Amino acid sequence: MNEELSYWLALAHLPKLRTKKKNEIIVRLFEEKKTIIDFFHFEPKQWKDNYQLNENEILLFQDAIKELSNYAFMVEDLLEQGYSILPITSPDYSPILKKNLGRTYAPPLIYTKGNKAIMKEKSVAIVGSRKADKVSLDFTDNVAKTVSKDYKVIVSGFAKGVDKQALDSALKYKGQSIIVLPQGISTFNSGFKKYYKQIIEGNVLVLSIFFPKATWSVGLAMARNPIIYGLAAEIYVAESSNKGGTWSGVVDGLRKGRKIFVRKPVFNEKNANNQLIQKGAIPVDSSGEILSNEQQTIINQNVVSEPDSNDVEHKIIELLKKGVFTSKKIIDTLKLDWSTRKVSSFLKEQDEIITVKGNPLKFAHKEKTIQSQKTLFD
Amino acid sequence: MNRQQAEIKLKQIFGFDRFYDEQWETIDLLFQAKRVLLIEKTGFGKSLCFQFPATQFEGLTIIFSPLIALMRDQVKSLVKNGISAKFINSEQTQEENSQTIQDAIKGILKILYIAPERQENQEWIQATRQMNLSMIVIDEAHTISVWGHDFRPAFRRIVNLIQLLPKNMPVLATTATATKRVQIDVEKQISNDITTLRGRLIRDNFNLFVINVKSEDEKLIWLAENLNKIEGTGIIYTGTRVNTEIYSRWFDFLKISTTEYNAGLDGETRKDVENGLMANKWKAVISTNALGMGIDKPDIRFIIHTQIPASPIHYYQEIGRAGRDGKPTTIVLFYNSSKDDKGIEEDYKLPKSFIDGGRPSLNKYNRVINAVKGEQLGGRQIMKATNLKQTQIKVIKADLIEQGIIKEVIYGRSKKYEYQFDAPELNTKAFEELRELKLNELESMLEYVNLNSSRMQFLCEYLGDEIPEQIENCDNTNHQKFISNPQPETVNMLSDFRETYFPELRVESRGSNIVNGIAASYYGVSNIGAALRRSKYQNGGEFPDFLLKLTLKAFRKQYGQEPFDLIVYVPPTESGDLVKNFAEKISRVLRIPISHNLIKTGTTQPQKVFKNGYLKRDNVSGMFKFDSPNDINGKAVVLIDDIFDSGSTIKEIGKMLTNSGASKIAPLVITRTVGGDI
Repeated sequence: MNEELSYWLALAHLPKLRTKKKNEIIVRLFEEKKTIIDFFHFEPKQWKDNYQLNENEILLFQDAIKELSNYAFMVEDLLEQGYSILPITSPDYSPILKKNLGRTYAPPLIYTKGNKAIMKEKSVAIVGSRKADKVSLDFTDNVAKTVSKDYKVIVSGFAKGVDKQALDSALKYKGQSIIVLPQGISTFNSGFKKYYKQIIEGNVLVLSIFFPKATWSVGLAMARNPIIYGLAAEIYVAESSNKGGTWSGVVDGLRKGRKIFVRKPVFNEKNANNQLIQKGAIPVDSSGEILSNEQQTIINQNVVSEPDSNDVEHKIIELLKKGVFTSKKIIDTLKLDWSTRKVSSFLKEQDEIITVKGNPLKFAHKEKTIQSQKTLFD
Repeated sequence: MNRQQAEIKLKQIFGFDRFYDEQWETIDLLFQAKRVLLIEKTGFGKSLCFQFPATQFEGLTIIFSPLIALMRDQVKSLVKNGISAKFINSEQTQEENSQTIQDAIKGILKILYIAPERQENQEWIQATRQMNLSMIVIDEAHTISVWGHDFRPAFRRIVNLIQLLPKNMPVLATTATATKRVQIDVEKQISNDITTLRGRLIRDNFNLFVINVKSEDEKLIWLAENLNKIEGTGIIYTGTRVNTEIYSRWFDFLKISTTEYNAGLDGETRKDVENGLMANKWKAVISTNALGMGIDKPDIRFIIHTQIPASPIHYYQEIGRAGRDGKPTTIVLFYNSSKDDKGIEEDYKLPKSFIDGGRPSLNKYNRVINAVKGEQLGGRQIMKATNLKQTQIKVIKADLIEQGIIKEVIYGRSKKYEYQFDAPELNTKAFEELRELKLNELESMLEYVNLNSSRMQFLCEYLGDEIPEQIENCDNTNHQKFISNPQPETVNMLSDFRETYFPELRVESRGSNIVNGIAASYYGVSNIGAALRRSKYQNGGEFPDFLLKLTLKAFRKQYGQEPFDLIVYVPPTESGDLVKNFAEKISRVLRIPISHNLIKTGTTQPQKVFKNGYLKRDNVSGMFKFDSPNDINGKAVVLIDDIFDSGSTIKEIGKMLTNSGASKIAPLVITRTVGGDI
């Protein structure tokens, strides 16, 4: 198996080729009982005829072949340092990741350090904001406790807030955890020091899908989110705003038909948990128990489910339902202490708001524009 | 490229007319991107088998070689032929090595020699990402097999690397010494698709002799009487570092020009000796087996071993460095067959002790395992946590890494050892098998010593080379035996030498006014160690007078008439006033006043408790002071102690006295240990 690894890196880190295409090649090789080594040493004609590579893709692979020996040096170094390199065909590769992400999204190669068997256990991801408040962190702790007691594994993205809480709680309750890195595996120095004991005792697995030397970036952090969802059999949402990584991850998960549990927010919380529930997520209480319809109704009665009328964001949106305005006009009308830039950037991120071109920019609510369009065509 | 075309290029680039058939066979396979193991004797021309194809490939050829001298020589001659070649090793500065790496990345280089240990260097590993590689060569490939002599742990990584290389990358492994077992092991490790080419190992220009002696002195005496009778220049291999020094002083005494060489010398000195050897500067270089491998000198005319090597393979390898020009060459092996009280032959003991001491005890392994289980540790931290000798830790670490129990992980600029989650139990069976093998090899070496038939035939057959006919080139076939027959005058000279030879203490260092000192003797090689032990640890009373006489003699030899103002002595840890009383006696004889003001500021442990330099240094660091600084300011001081081991104490005091204003600190001790043997 090891002798294939340089070839796997060459494929996995081949730029400008989509994961789906890479996985299709792998599936094809699997069906034909060929190895990835065979594939790299095929004639271009075979690539074209049997694997439907176009001219550009053939050039990509011809370049990749030249790098094989370079990858050999890198693989040797990684293995020597105790990292595992797991191609998607490896029996150690996470079965649930493969199942959840499918051939379109499952990474062809993952890097790990620690107890690989953790990937075969039932797994739970608890996700939420980096700036979660205490209610959310308590919720995370409660769920992690139950999860750990049931011998399930916590999947954590190692971000601040909910991610970190989930990991810490799992370890506090003697559970196991997978840390999914937003960076290459050989750049996680402080983490390997901090979780040394847990790693060598087999309670933590560190996992990365990125080039081993890659350092943290926003892009990698975003690309890591689907891996967290992919590694988990169950997903709990502690807290989500109506934008950002948690939101898009959950919305994406719901669209794919995943079962996602969302903490039912209490009175006057400023988050989008209720919106996720409206989109089909399953509401749970503060200890992660599923709420019956009755219980939900009770909570909804106690709570003004509408956002607080003092909420500035809400006021802005309400205002735009009445007309088309510039940021300046909005601030003046509502007597806000926001800058025009803050208003603009807030509005640009709202699905229900559209921008009207011009200088300065104007903003309109979808409801309003439909009306105005009607009048335009009348 | 066919042979004819290749030989035209060969003439243009290297100036040779044609390849030997075996050379071309190898080169042709490499052109077909095959993997080849080439076993040929020294002097066959193995290097050309990779150097030529390297000049024809588009990219870079990397040669992993454990031999720094070979790198230097080959690069020099390649560059002379206009081929762009460089090397990376510990002899060069970091800047030079970095520059070479840059040249390799830029594609300026065709051939790059590199030590296998470099595979642990992150700058190198990062750089390999950007190189255009054409071929990989493993020189001295027997070192990748644990069954081979000189197995080097760093080569294990090269094997792993080879297995990861793309299948269309040509790989050549070469060696001059591989038994069938090693050959099979190397083949298995490199590829299941490898071609092995094995040549004849016979060296018929050698004249092989074994000289049976009854004491160590007989060796020194035979050499005194006969060395100058052997034609040309050569190498004398002693079994230990300390013997390189003793033998070389003996020849100095006899006015026979020699110098010593061992791995304890600094790189600059070693290079000087290697160059001097090439230039026939001395009759002989007295060396441990660290010298000679990879030195491209065609006319080493003799090789003499004063101790038996660990196996016939070692022996063949070491004598193989001589007589590459095919002219008659004298090969001598001494063996002291006198027996001790237990009936064990004297010269069996040293190689046996290497086997016994080769592996630390199990509980030492467990000490390292437990320390690393507790937390990530760096190399020094392991030493501090376990209090084991550096050499032992090195062996233990290599074994634990080999068995997958710990790993060496690189974090930025630091290296940490980490226990592995799924680590197996320590497998001691592997150690026992290896020990068994080594004992068998040593038995075979004794067989060579006591042989009655052709010695060359024995060596070739041992190495798996089938010899068709009888070979006659030794003292069992066609040559007269050398007999040890000491002449009285040489015996007297040796005893004169013994009384005037004193080991030096190399302690000079920048920022300290300490000078290199002198010891009256070596701890292990005389009756002095026993006398000291009696006094120190067995209530044997004062140090005996003969020690005083010898120490005074050493003092006069080293310092002659140099004036001194004051004698101070190292304050004791556990042996009471022995050193104080001894220093007082010396003070009286030399008429130099003694001061009792050098004192300890706290309690130290006896240095012998600590098994490595770091802990010894920590133990004494800042632990001394001189009570009345006025007495010492501007003074030249003799510093007296009984035993000199790591030198940490003497150096620490030297620093402190320098800071107190002493103008010179001259160490004088009774005995110096050899490699920490208390």
